[in-house]
Amino acid sequence: MRDVVYSVRGLSVEYPTREGSTRAVDDVSLDIHKGEILGLVGESGCGKSTLGKSLLRMQSPGRIVEGELWFGGRDLMTLGERQMQKLRGRNLSMVFQDPMTSLNPVERIVDHIVETVQTHEPGVSEAAARDRARDLARRLGILENRIDDYPHQFSGGMRQRIMIALALALNADVVVADEPTTALDVIVEAQFLDLLRELRDEFDLTIVMITHNIGVVAEIADRVAVMYAARLTELATVDRFFAETRHPYSQGLLRSVPNIDLDEQSLSTMSGAPPSLLYPPPGCRFHPRCPHAMEVCTAEQPAMADVGPAHEAACWLYLDHAGSPPLEVVSDA
Amino acid sequence: MHPLLLTFMIIGLPAAVALLYVFVRGTTTMRRYILTRITLTIPMVLILASLVFFVLRIIPGDPVTSSLGPKGSPEVKELLRQNLGLDDPLLVQYGRFIGDILTFDFGDSLIGAQRPIADELGERLPATLELVLPATILALAIGVVFGTWAAVRRKRAADYGLRLYSVVIYSMPIFWLGLLLQLLFGVWLEWTPIAGRIDAVIASDLERTTNFLTIDAVLHGNWEALSSALHHLVLPTLTLGLVLSGVFLRLTRINVIETLEEDYVAAARARGIRERVVTYSYALKNAMIPVITLIGLQVAILLAGAVLTETVFSWPGMGRYLVDRISSRDFTAVQSTITMFALFVALISLAVDIVYSLLDPRVRY
Amino acid sequence: MAVDLETREAGWQQDLERAGLLRRLLRARKWHGADWWFVAIASVMVVAFIVLALFPGFFAPHDPREQVGPRFLAPGEKPDVESLIIPGDSGITSLLDIVGDERVPTAVVEGTPSSQAARDEADRITQVLQDRGEDVRLRLRVQRHDTIQEALDELVAGDAVIAVASSAAFDEVADDYPSLDVAGPVFEGQTLSSFLLGTNQIGQDVLSRLIWGTRIALIIGFSASFFSLFIGVPLGLFAGFTGGKTDRVLTVFMDSLYAFPGLILAIAITAVLGPSIINVIVAIAVLYIPTYYRIVRGQTLSVKESLFVEAARSLGAKSRVVLTRYVFPNVIPSVAIIFSVNIADAILTGAGLSFLGLGLPPTTPDWGIDLARGQETIQRASWLITFPGVAVMLVVLAFTMMGEGLMEIFNPKLRDR
Repeated sequence: MRDVVYSVRGLSVEYPTREGSTRAVDDVSLDIHKGEILGLVGESGCGKSTLGKSLLRMQSPGRIVEGELWFGGRDLMTLGERQMQKLRGRNLSMVFQDPMTSLNPVERIVDHIVETVQTHEPGVSEAAARDRARDLARRLGILENRIDDYPHQFSGGMRQRIMIALALALNADVVVADEPTTALDVIVEAQFLDLLRELRDEFDLTIVMITHNIGVVAEIADRVAVMYAARLTELATVDRFFAETRHPYSQGLLRSVPNIDLDEQSLSTMSGAPPSLLYPPPGCRFHPRCPHAMEVCTAEQPAMADVGPAHEAACWLYLDHAGSPPLEVVSDA
Repeated sequence: MHPLLLTFMIIGLPAAVALLYVFVRGTTTMRRYILTRITLTIPMVLILASLVFFVLRIIPGDPVTSSLGPKGSPEVKELLRQNLGLDDPLLVQYGRFIGDILTFDFGDSLIGAQRPIADELGERLPATLELVLPATILALAIGVVFGTWAAVRRKRAADYGLRLYSVVIYSMPIFWLGLLLQLLFGVWLEWTPIAGRIDAVIASDLERTTNFLTIDAVLHGNWEALSSALHHLVLPTLTLGLVLSGVFLRLTRINVIETLEEDYVAAARARGIRERVVTYSYALKNAMIPVITLIGLQVAILLAGAVLTETVFSWPGMGRYLVDRISSRDFTAVQSTITMFALFVALISLAVDIVYSLLDPRVRY
Repeated sequence: MAVDLETREAGWQQDLERAGLLRRLLRARKWHGADWWFVAIASVMVVAFIVLALFPGFFAPHDPREQVGPRFLAPGEKPDVESLIIPGDSGITSLLDIVGDERVPTAVVEGTPSSQAARDEADRITQVLQDRGEDVRLRLRVQRHDTIQEALDELVAGDAVIAVASSAAFDEVADDYPSLDVAGPVFEGQTLSSFLLGTNQIGQDVLSRLIWGTRIALIIGFSASFFSLFIGVPLGLFAGFTGGKTDRVLTVFMDSLYAFPGLILAIAITAVLGPSIINVIVAIAVLYIPTYYRIVRGQTLSVKESLFVEAARSLGAKSRVVLTRYVFPNVIPSVAIIFSVNIADAILTGAGLSFLGLGLPPTTPDWGIDLARGQETIQRASWLITFPGVAVMLVVLAFTMMGEGLMEIFNPKLRDR
């Protein structure tokens, strides 16, 4: 793997709620390598979106209470808002989930791009910026004569391309894509992923792809990071992840994807539900639902540890512990 | 030229020019939208006027007895009845009423001067407009500026302070605010006059063309009159403007807050767009769209406020005329004045919708 | 040892339930911040006003329609009336106490109306007593002095039984005569005490009128709002739910009514109906029906289209059930907010109407009427316009703040119409 372009160390993000503070992201450490597509997967509410936004320090109303964000040789936590604004859109950019609501309805597409360019490169003239916008649009398959149109005049797939165009307008180093295909239908989604791959190859992009869809990850990602209840549970290359899944949660996830080829009578599920983040279970947060739960799992949280080449998982099954026998298996049925 | 017509032209001409410009330069969708809106205005006015008509007739109470009081002899009452056509079936009366409206025939005043009502309105409409227009501008300036400011500083001291201001000012009866200002500036400090549109002595020297005293003063180079007219304008404008500003502030604030929470604002921030640009280009511009419509709806409050303000400051406008005529039981005049108000409301509504279509491209394309 | 799934999961929910109302209120305070205070303060004010309105006689020191003092008395100013001055230990409380056969020595100041006043009142009392059949008289032997000090000296010396002088004059020198007291006013029915908020041009107590005015204002406010609510909400529910032609017709009608300047319509209605409180209530009620209608209809429409209603219907829920169990509960928060703001508006409109001289009979103790009268004497008696205005403002403020605060709390994204 190539150089690390962004390093997250011990990040914790808290959200204020009516009943108290919850940790949406709890002590997550992650390295993002140049040119890779990192898939960040998990159920709704596991914290992946918050983590993604934190990379740009846009996690508000959450607060980053701990951790370091190393990018470009600096810890972004030490930067002021003004300095962060300079990075956003230029070095770090984001593609949002719903392209309809993410574009300003009263602004033309070309103006969206021109504005972004001129914000970060004030010397560029309007004409020059428009040229760049035209270029960009062409590269992304948007018809040139349409860049003067308004967002509502485009289809969903086209709008998502526009969002990518905006994210790439200044050749960002890292692009965070927050559930970019969730609002798209399957065919458009496939086109979108193809486009993303092409762009990555052409521009040597680094992409963090946040999604709850394992299929998308399998399709496009180089590495996979799995989150559960605000914690990172498994991190591996795509091949190893699907071939040798280690963490019981990941195993459960993969098992629950219906496979038309297998001759199964019923769908496989994981019993229970993700825990409340206000009062998370002690020890490993997955233990109430884990078929291999042991006594140590109810007491201490496991740390991420190597379980193979370029493969980490946070599970007591792979760590030294006091050799306690497994607890009664919670039935899958 | 009849003063009413002149007034309509003064206000209407620039509006018509703007409308024409928009029409010519606009897209087909836009043109269709404008035409639709204009054609809808006519039924709206008719509905409002009809409302007035039926309200005044269906409600128990004989208009003739109300007008003449217990003094009128039965013969006189009968004569008046016939004159007003009150014996005819309701629908016939209604038909005549609509016909009168469409021909701008407002009839004659029953009580007092017996002048054609159109003349009376012709003098008073400019007075009301001269008060209402600056007040609206003042209210917009204060309301929009501080409303945005409060929205941007949400949940901080400035926000709560401004919300308190808008709520307090809105809770004050407008006529009370007028009285207080009269007391403070007119009586105690003696900075401004407390009643009327212009000093009576100076007024006799002023030649009237448009009945907009400020315009007339400028037209005829009568600077003394201009000064007096402006002096008299201060308190009423301030009264109406401040109370309205409370409403506008609240509306702006809520809409800017909502807009700031929209996804495209977050997306813009994610592209590093500076906060100030985000606030003005994105939030404010987008928030203005619903705000304009809502402000248009506040015309009702504006007119109600005008009625009260005119009463407090003895301002000879349409509002005071209405109250006056009601006290005198001048039935025809009341009807005509309210119809005039309805027309006003409908036109403002039209203007607002057209401005709205200019701002929101989703309507145009 | 199976891990107890249920206990773990339900833990935080149980904690919340155990918290109880008080803790939830306090937590709400921390969460909502100043908005909570808005609502809290407003609620207290609203309750206070309601109490005032329910028991005005209890709080008001005087009858609001009676002339209880001199005209145009400033707040806190003591009226200058002819008063009966006595030695502190004499036990005399009024002229009636000195009724008898002998002439009572009375000290007065030369050149003041005191002696005449004393004599007039004495004659009147005598007449009243004789009419009652009592054979007694009240006769005074008036002893004139040049200054009040001389008159009071005579009283102190015991050469006079009572002294009569204007209360203002006595107050000026009262410190020099600690043994003397003012027994009361010479004329029965006058008062020596000051009025907290002064008196108006008829001599009525402003404070009492304010308190009684609360009752009128709240009656108008609540009644008009209830009326509007009971007509507007069902219409809105009906129109939103059934749709179709009735909905369209109703909506066009309501929109026109809504766009029309309310005050003007109210003016027209009250003018034709005549002055009475019921007519005012009806006129104002008509104004707000469209508001309830619009909001309720809008909410009904959106709830009707929502997924959970569709789901319910697919399970066979009947229309009536959908209306009562799904639509109605969702509509209630908005209606509550509108109701609160509506009362505020109704009170304002009511005050406006009475200010213009329309609607209420002129003898009613109403804030608007007081303000209108006060305007006539604005230079002379500025307090007459201050206090009623403050009263209106506070009541309207209380209800508006409550509505505002509720709006922020229930749904900070609630659209403004």
